[in-house]
Amino acid sequence: MNVDAVLTALLGAALLGSVPLMLAAVGESIGERAGLLNLGIEGTMLIGGFAGFWVALRFDDLPLGLLAGAVAGLLTGAIFALLAVVAKADQIMIGLGLTLAGGGLTGFLFREVYGSDQPLLPSTMGRPFAGAGDGLPVIGPALLDQKWFVYVAWIIVAGSQVLLHRTSFGLRLRAAGEAPFAVDAAGIDVTRTRFAAALIAGTLTGLGGASMALVELGFFRPNVTLGAGFIAIALAMLGRLTPWRVAAMAVLFGLLRGLDAGLQLTDIPVRAEFLQMVPYAGVVIALIVLGRHMALPAALGRPYVRGQARGDEV
Amino acid sequence: MVAVGSMTGLGRRVPIARRGISGLLESLLAVAGVLVLGAVLLAITGHDPVVAYRELVSRTLLRPTGVQEILVRATPLLLAGCAVLVAAKVGVWNIGIDGQVLVGALAGAITADALTGAGRPWLWLGAALAGLVAGGVWGLVPALLRARLGINEIVTTIMFNYMAMSLTAWLVKGPLRDPSLVVPQTTVIDRALRLPTLGDTRVHLGLVVALLVTGVLGWVLQRTVIGYELAVTGANPRAARHGLIPVATYVLVAFVASGAIAGLAGVNDVLSTKGVFQAEWNPSYGLPAFALVFLARRQVAGLVPAALFLGLLSYGADVMPRAAGVAPAFFEVLEGALLVALALGAWARSRRGQLREDAP
Repeated sequence: MNVDAVLTALLGAALLGSVPLMLAAVGESIGERAGLLNLGIEGTMLIGGFAGFWVALRFDDLPLGLLAGAVAGLLTGAIFALLAVVAKADQIMIGLGLTLAGGGLTGFLFREVYGSDQPLLPSTMGRPFAGAGDGLPVIGPALLDQKWFVYVAWIIVAGSQVLLHRTSFGLRLRAAGEAPFAVDAAGIDVTRTRFAAALIAGTLTGLGGASMALVELGFFRPNVTLGAGFIAIALAMLGRLTPWRVAAMAVLFGLLRGLDAGLQLTDIPVRAEFLQMVPYAGVVIALIVLGRHMALPAALGRPYVRGQARGDEV
Repeated sequence: MVAVGSMTGLGRRVPIARRGISGLLESLLAVAGVLVLGAVLLAITGHDPVVAYRELVSRTLLRPTGVQEILVRATPLLLAGCAVLVAAKVGVWNIGIDGQVLVGALAGAITADALTGAGRPWLWLGAALAGLVAGGVWGLVPALLRARLGINEIVTTIMFNYMAMSLTAWLVKGPLRDPSLVVPQTTVIDRALRLPTLGDTRVHLGLVVALLVTGVLGWVLQRTVIGYELAVTGANPRAARHGLIPVATYVLVAFVASGAIAGLAGVNDVLSTKGVFQAEWNPSYGLPAFALVFLARRQVAGLVPAALFLGLLSYGADVMPRAAGVAPAFFEVLEGALLVALALGAWARSRRGQLREDAP
């Protein structure tokens, strides 16, 4: 068997498969930086995925579908923000509720719209740089033979990095997660800052879900994310809530997941189910190695109530 | 000295009896709100909500078989709810229920198979012990990682869920497979060796066990020093440390107990309704158990009625596709909305408490 071809396929698949995880995990990072622990990522991805798929199939238009997924994510983010930021209700409960309700709603609507059909998208996405990297073995084609949205996702990651770490809005956002009382004292509206963060996070997460359906798979099914939303939360923590690190972790995770398919091609007698454990065990081991006493934002998961100082001193 | 009212996070001046009633009202309001939301969703998608809900009630609550099935469904949910509650008492979120259910169920199935010759009580006891230990161990690792290395338990327990799914699937498809069967599963436990049903119903001994576990849990949490110290640990770890309560140990113990009870829920399924452990089984008890515990207002006394309601939703998801053409996922929407509604209710209550305390 041609080793180069296998490696190219594995690396290419890892880069493609990491796109939804990367967008969702970067979105979650932005939210967590502002102090919002959103466990509703899984539900938000499903909502974005279903909305994107429905629009893309209806109008046979992939970019429009991706946009619809992002808008659906934005709206879901707004619901989370209204409940968690404005109403200051418990973030864990709301997040888990959104995950349950999002999975249920998309499953319900899928059956309502398509019955027992399992439709596929008619068109696939263009590969603008196909063939450009053939001179370089393995890495060239794996990097450049990708669908165009893969590059858009990387631009979004770079943009998020700049937004969080090179703009005054990013500084305010991070401060709202570390020391909301200080942000408040400086005359900046904590609620508004966190609301904005939740909207950005929701948009990226919805786009991530849509990219899974439209770019990676070419279809949507009930609960198609299979826990990708929860993995995104783990990747965000592993990447220390810094967009470029988070994206790198997503690609590493994609490679680990690809091991499954890769080792099946060799003669090593390992069962697929055993290999399926590897990425999850890998995350736990990575947390043990990299994540000891990880510094998460000080006010993560805590609603900010003016005058109620730092939360734990009741 | 810390007032008990403030430790439970509730308004200081509200008498306990009134708190219970307003809590019950709040839960009922949340349920009503969610059912209305469901009706709106049904109406939007072209179903008749009145017909759908009437079918739901007539097929579940108004038939003996329906009521029995609700009790059967409520059994593992009640155990899962106990598991979530134990961990919640010390302030940790055990989102790893499903993984602990899986390893507990598999351990129970293997042990039951090994003990087929030992007689029914020994088989049940052995399987239950195996499930408790397996579930407890599956909870211990994330708990240790949190206690020793400060690694967030939410992420690790979720990873342990997926690891449990692949691990059990691997074991059942490979080393532990019953070679005489095509389907990847453990050896079927003979019907005569499973938990007996109560009278001429589908309800089985597992319900009694679940109620016993709930009762013991209530006794420990409300009538013992351990329960009191667990509650203080959860309400205010700093105060607990000042009171020389071994906070870290209690968090560890609560997490292991939580995993063990979840494992028992898995054994219950294997010894009753399922009779085997099948690969690729996703119990999906974890998130409903969270809805259950918050519906019960984190009080042991509320767990039983809350489990019955979630059992009703679980059985409803089975009968509604045929009865009213409503997809089972509809009930997931209700469970999710219930969590959100309860979160809002808790917020509204804390605001009222706040106002009362601010008043001169």
